[in-house]
Amino acid sequence: MALASDNRFRIAIDIGGTFTDIALLTDAGLIHQSKISSTPSDPSVAVIEGVGQLLAELSISPGAVAEVLHGTTVGSNTILQRKGARTGLITTRGFRDVLEIGRIRMPDMFDLTWEKPKPLVPRRHRMEVTERMAADGSTVEPLSEAGVISAGKALVAEGIEAVAIAFINSYRNPAHELQAEAILRANFPHLLVTTSCAVLPEMKEYERTSTTVVNAYLLAAMRSYLQRLEAGLRAIGVAAPILVMTSNGGMLAANVTCEKPVLVVASGPAGGVIGAARLGVARDDRDVIVFDMGGTTAKAVIIEDGRPSMTSEYEFRDGISTSSRFIKAGGYMLKVPAIDIAEVGAGGGSIAGIDKGGLLVVGPQSAGAMPGPACYGLGNDRPTVTDANVVLGFINATSLAGGKLHIDRALSEQAIRVHVGDPLSLPMQDAAHGIRAVANAAMARAIRAVTVERGLDPRDLTLMAFGGNGGVHAPDLARQLGIPRVVIPPMSGIFSALGMLASDIEHTALKTVSQRLDRMSVADLEAIKQELRQQVAAQLAADGYQAERTAFLWEADLRHEGQATELTVPFEGEDFSQIRERFVAEYFKTYGYRDSTPMELMKVRVAGRGLRDNRLDFGNMKIAARAGASRSGTRQVSFARGEPAVAVEIVDRGALGASSRQGPLIIEEFDATIVVPPDAKAHKDAIGCIVLEFET
Amino acid sequence: MKVDPITFAVIKSGLDSIADDMAYTVVRIARSEIVKDVMDFSAALCAGDGQMVAQAKTIAQHLGAIPEAMASVLAKFEGDLHDGDVVIMNDPYHGGMHLPDIFMFVPIFFGGERHAFAVVICHHTDVGGRVPGSNASDSTEIYQEGLRIPPLKLYDRGVLNTTLEALIKINVRVPDRVWGDLSAQFAAAQVGKRGLEKLLQRYGAAEVDAYMQELLDYAERLTRREIATWPKGTYRFVDYIDNDGFSDTPIPIKVAITVNGDGTLLVDYTGSSPQVKGALNSTLSFTHSLTYLSVRCVLAKDVPNNVGLFRCITVKAPEASILNPVMPAPCAARALTGYRVFDTMLGALAQIVPDKVPAAGEGGNSVICISGLRPNRQPFIIVDMICGAWGGRPDKDGLEAVTNASQNLSNMPVEVMEAEHPVRIEDYSFVTDSCGAGRYRGGVGVRRSYRILAPEALLQLRTDRVTFQPYGLNGGEPGGSSRNFIEIGNERSALPGKITTIVMRDTLIIHEQAGAGGFGNPLLREPEQVREDFLDGKITAAFAEQHYAVRFGARGALDVEATARLRSERAATPEPSGARHGA
Repeated sequence: MALASDNRFRIAIDIGGTFTDIALLTDAGLIHQSKISSTPSDPSVAVIEGVGQLLAELSISPGAVAEVLHGTTVGSNTILQRKGARTGLITTRGFRDVLEIGRIRMPDMFDLTWEKPKPLVPRRHRMEVTERMAADGSTVEPLSEAGVISAGKALVAEGIEAVAIAFINSYRNPAHELQAEAILRANFPHLLVTTSCAVLPEMKEYERTSTTVVNAYLLAAMRSYLQRLEAGLRAIGVAAPILVMTSNGGMLAANVTCEKPVLVVASGPAGGVIGAARLGVARDDRDVIVFDMGGTTAKAVIIEDGRPSMTSEYEFRDGISTSSRFIKAGGYMLKVPAIDIAEVGAGGGSIAGIDKGGLLVVGPQSAGAMPGPACYGLGNDRPTVTDANVVLGFINATSLAGGKLHIDRALSEQAIRVHVGDPLSLPMQDAAHGIRAVANAAMARAIRAVTVERGLDPRDLTLMAFGGNGGVHAPDLARQLGIPRVVIPPMSGIFSALGMLASDIEHTALKTVSQRLDRMSVADLEAIKQELRQQVAAQLAADGYQAERTAFLWEADLRHEGQATELTVPFEGEDFSQIRERFVAEYFKTYGYRDSTPMELMKVRVAGRGLRDNRLDFGNMKIAARAGASRSGTRQVSFARGEPAVAVEIVDRGALGASSRQGPLIIEEFDATIVVPPDAKAHKDAIGCIVLEFET
Repeated sequence: MKVDPITFAVIKSGLDSIADDMAYTVVRIARSEIVKDVMDFSAALCAGDGQMVAQAKTIAQHLGAIPEAMASVLAKFEGDLHDGDVVIMNDPYHGGMHLPDIFMFVPIFFGGERHAFAVVICHHTDVGGRVPGSNASDSTEIYQEGLRIPPLKLYDRGVLNTTLEALIKINVRVPDRVWGDLSAQFAAAQVGKRGLEKLLQRYGAAEVDAYMQELLDYAERLTRREIATWPKGTYRFVDYIDNDGFSDTPIPIKVAITVNGDGTLLVDYTGSSPQVKGALNSTLSFTHSLTYLSVRCVLAKDVPNNVGLFRCITVKAPEASILNPVMPAPCAARALTGYRVFDTMLGALAQIVPDKVPAAGEGGNSVICISGLRPNRQPFIIVDMICGAWGGRPDKDGLEAVTNASQNLSNMPVEVMEAEHPVRIEDYSFVTDSCGAGRYRGGVGVRRSYRILAPEALLQLRTDRVTFQPYGLNGGEPGGSSRNFIEIGNERSALPGKITTIVMRDTLIIHEQAGAGGFGNPLLREPEQVREDFLDGKITAAFAEQHYAVRFGARGALDVEATARLRSERAATPEPSGARHGA
C-alpha cells in the first residue's frame, strides 16, 4: 500500500451525464485539468482514457499517483433509469408487504391525484419464510432452511439476480438473516445477496428493508463498474487506492463501496458541494446557495454558516428530488446520511419540444454526451438548451471544451426552427429565448425548493454557480429570484472534481449505546471509545495515515428517555458532566424548555481524519496555464426576446481585475463560459472567483 | 396594499415552513408512539386576530376545527393574553373535538403587540376516564371519556400552573407520556414563536400582518374563482356508518351541497342521524373541518387551506344531530363520523366535478386499542391506527397502503410496537380480493394481527365498513368489507366492528380493513392489467373471472379466447346491482 507522503499527485474524477472531468493536484499545489465526453454505456472507459491522456500530457509516471478520488452517478442513474438488478426480497412470514406499505403518508395534503411510487421489488418477487425473532432478540421460531431454499428457487426461476433479506427484529439479533444469507450463497452461488443487518442494523422495519432493497438493486451495477474502473486504471499503471465520494461528502474505499453502494447514491454532486462550502469559507461568504448545472440536471444546495445542509435519510424520486424530513412518501427511502440536495431534470443537454397540449417543454429527457446537442452534429436533430445558447450567442458557436468539440451553429438553428419555432409559429430567435426561459424556470424551482420553500430569503444569500453552463444561466436565475450576487469559482467547469481535492479523508464509526447516562461509568465510555478508535485508526492506516497524522472528533447522541430522536453534541475525553451540560444547553437552545426526565446516551460517533499535507487550499491555489486559452474579440448576444443582439466583448478570466467592469461582457475559459448581462458588474476576487453584482 | 410577489411568496412559504418546523419538533421529542410514529398531531399558525393562516403537512382533520377552538380561547382570555402565556383546551363543548386531542395555543408578541398564535394539537395516549386510551366507541356520556379541560392557562407569563399540572398528571393513566407529549407541544410552539419572530424582524410587523391577511384573501379569491365555474344546483348524497356498537341501526350521513352562482357553497346536513348513544358524535367544529377539507381536495393544488377558503362555505348541521351534538353526548370516536362526512361530501362532489373525485376509500383508519398491566403493574396502552386504501380514480387506479386523504397519518412500525409493548404482530399485509373492481380498481385493504403476550388485556375495536362497503363510482364495484376475528387456540371466530372486551394471553386478534371502491365498468379494464394484479397476488383467478370476466391458463398466462367469450356473454346480461348506496 502506497504511503500518502511518498507520491505526489492526487487525481479527482467527476463523471457527469455529459462530460467526465478530471483534476490533478501536484504537491506544489498546482492544478491541471481535463474534460472529455462521458461514455454512458461504460463510464470507466472515459475515466481511463482521460487519466491516461492527462498523465501522458504532463509526463507524470502513473506510479506517482497517490490517490484517485471519485464521484460517480452510477448509483443514481441506475435507479432513475430502473436499470438495476432484477431484485427479490425475502422477509419474515406475514411481512412480505412491508416494502410496499411503507410509512403510509402522502407528500402533499389534499392531493387526490397522487401516484404512490411503485416498489423496486414487485409483490410477486417478495417471498416469505418461516422464522421469527422477538423484540428482545430471543428466537420465537427457528429459520426454516427448506423455506429459504424454496424461496431462492422460486426467485431464481423468475430470473432474479440480487436478493435482499430483511427479517423482523434482525436489528436485535441478526442470526436468522446471516443463516439465510449463508444458505442462499451455498445453494445459489450466482445470486448477489445483501442482508438488512449488514446495511442498516437499526430499528424500524420499513426504513431498514427499503435501504437494503436499494442496496441489493445497485450491487451488480456498482461492482461491475468499480471493478472495470480499477482494472482499467491498474492496466495503465495507476496503482493508487480508489476512494469513492459518499452521499454525505465523505470518502469510502472502493471495496467497501462494492458492498454498500447505497452509501454513494448521491455521490456525484457531493464533491462540488464540499468544494463550494470550503471556497465560501475561504472568501468569507458562509451562507451560500450552491447551484450546479450539468448536462442533464441542475442541483441546488444550501450552505449555512459554512456547512452544507445535511439529512439523515432521504427519498430518491423522479421529478424534483428533495429530502423529506418527515414526509416519507415520495420515493425510495434511503436511511443513509446525505447532503440535502434539490435536483431538477434540466441541464444543457435537456431536449426541448412541444407537448400534447401545445406547450413548450424542456427536459427531463437529455441528449447527454452521445449524441449530444444538435450542434455537435452527432446524430441528434432535436434542439437542446445548449443549442438555444449557441444561437443566442451565450456560448461560443465554433467550439467547446477548449476546442475539443466542434460546433455547428446552423444545426442548432435548424433544430430549433423545426421542433419549436415552426410548431409555435415563432421566429427562431424567439423560440430560442423560449427554451432558455422554460429551462430557467425549472432550474429556479430547485433553488426555490431549498430557499423560499424553507423560509430562507434568496435575497439574503450568494449564488455560487458552477458546471459548464452555470455561468450562462446563473445571472438570469439570480435576477429572477432577486439574488444580489453570483460567484463563479475558478475552474467552474470541473468544480465538482476540484471540490473532491479539497475534502479530507475521513472514516467514521458509530456505536449504539442506548443506556441511561446516570447509570454509566467512565470505564464504560472508555471502552466504547477504545473500540471505535481502533476501528477507525485501522482504516486510516490502510489509507497511509499513521497515528501521528490523524485527528479524532467525538460526538455523542443523546435524548431524554422515550423520545424518538436525539441531539448531537461534541465532547472530549470521558467527561460526563461536559456531555450532560452540552446536551442540556443544546436542548434548551433547540426546543426552548428544560426537561427533567432522565437522559439516555444513544450513540457515540467518531470521525477520524487523515491529515493531508496537500489538501487543496483555495486560498493558495495555482492553476496550470493551458495552451490557447487566451480569448479576445466580440460576439453578438441576444439578451432578451424582442431586443436586438448586441456586440459583446470576449475576454478571459485573467483580463478581469479587482475593480468592477460593467456588463455586457463574456468571460470565456477552457471549460466554461460566463455571460455578464448588461445590468450587472463583474470583478475578480483574490481567489480568482468571478463575482457578478446586480444593481439593486 | 401593493403586493410584492417575491415577498409574498417568501412569507407564505416561510409560514408553511415554520409550521413544518413545529411539526418536526413534535416528532423529534414526543414520547408516545401515536404522536411520534403514527403522527396523530398537527401544527398551525394563526394571525394575531386568531385566523388560521398556515399549517404543517399533518392531520388535515384537525385544522378546520381551529377557528372554533380559537374563538373559545379568545372568548375567555381576550384582553388577558401576555407574552409567555400558554393556553390548553380539549373539551368538545368548548370548540374541541374529542378529549384525547389537547389543543395548545401560544400567543406571539413583537414590540408589545400580538401578531400571531402558534397552535399545536396532539392526540394523547390517555386522558383518563372509563377505559384506557380514552377513545372507546361505547361510552354514553362525555363524563365517562376522561378529563375535560376548558380553555385554561398552563403557563401564565412564563410561570407553570402547577395546580393544572398536578390535576392532569393524577387523572391520566400514563402521566409520563402525557406530560412528555405536552412538553413536545410546548417546544414546538416555542420553535414556531422563534421562527415567527425572525420573520417579523426581517420584514417588519406591519408588513407580515398585512401579508397574513393577504394570504387569507388570496385563498378566498382562488376558491371563489374556482367554485364559480361549477354548475349551479343542489347535489345530494348519503352514506352510512354501520352502527354505534349499541344497536344494529345504520347511521345515515346525508348532505345537500348547493352551488351558488357567486363562488360560494351551502352545505346542509339536514336528514343526518340524530346524535347517537355511543361515542360517534362529531362536534360542529369537527363537522366544519371535514366539510372544508373535502372541498379543498377537489380544488386546484395551489389553494392554501386557511380561513380564506372557509369563508366561501356555509355549513348547516341540525342541533342535537350526530354532526352537531349537545351535552352530554360522548364524542371520543368522532373521527369515524368525520371520515363518513368526507365520503359523503365526495359522493356529492362527484356529481359536480366528476373528473376529480375517486370512488370511496377504506372509510377511515381503524383504531385497535390494546391495554393492560405489565408484570410490574405499570400500565401499557397501544393505540394503533390502520390505514388505508383509495378508491379507483377517473383516470387511474386507486392506491393501497396509504393514509386516508382527509388526514396524513403514518403507521406504527412493528418493531417499535414490539419493543415497547407486550404484543407480537404476526401479519401486516394486503388482503387479497378486497379491492373494488372497476376499469380503475380500488386499492386492496390491509390486515394486521396481534398476538397478546400480557396475562390479560382490554381490547377495544373501532372499525367500520363491515356492513356498508365503500361505494364504487361510475359503474365501479364497492370495495371489500372490513372483518375482525379472534383466534384462541385453533378456534377462530368473528368479532363485530365495534367491541370492548377482555382477551387473555396468546389470543390472536386479526383485523382486516375494507378495500376501496372501483371506478368505471370492470369489463373495461384491460385484461393485461387484471393479469398483473393476479400475478402480484392482489386478486385470485376466481375474483378475476367473477368480476372482470378474465380467465387465465397455465402459469398465469392470459386465456385470450375464454376471456373474449366471457366478456361478450357478460356484456349481454344486465349489470349486477352490487351493494351500492349513495345518491
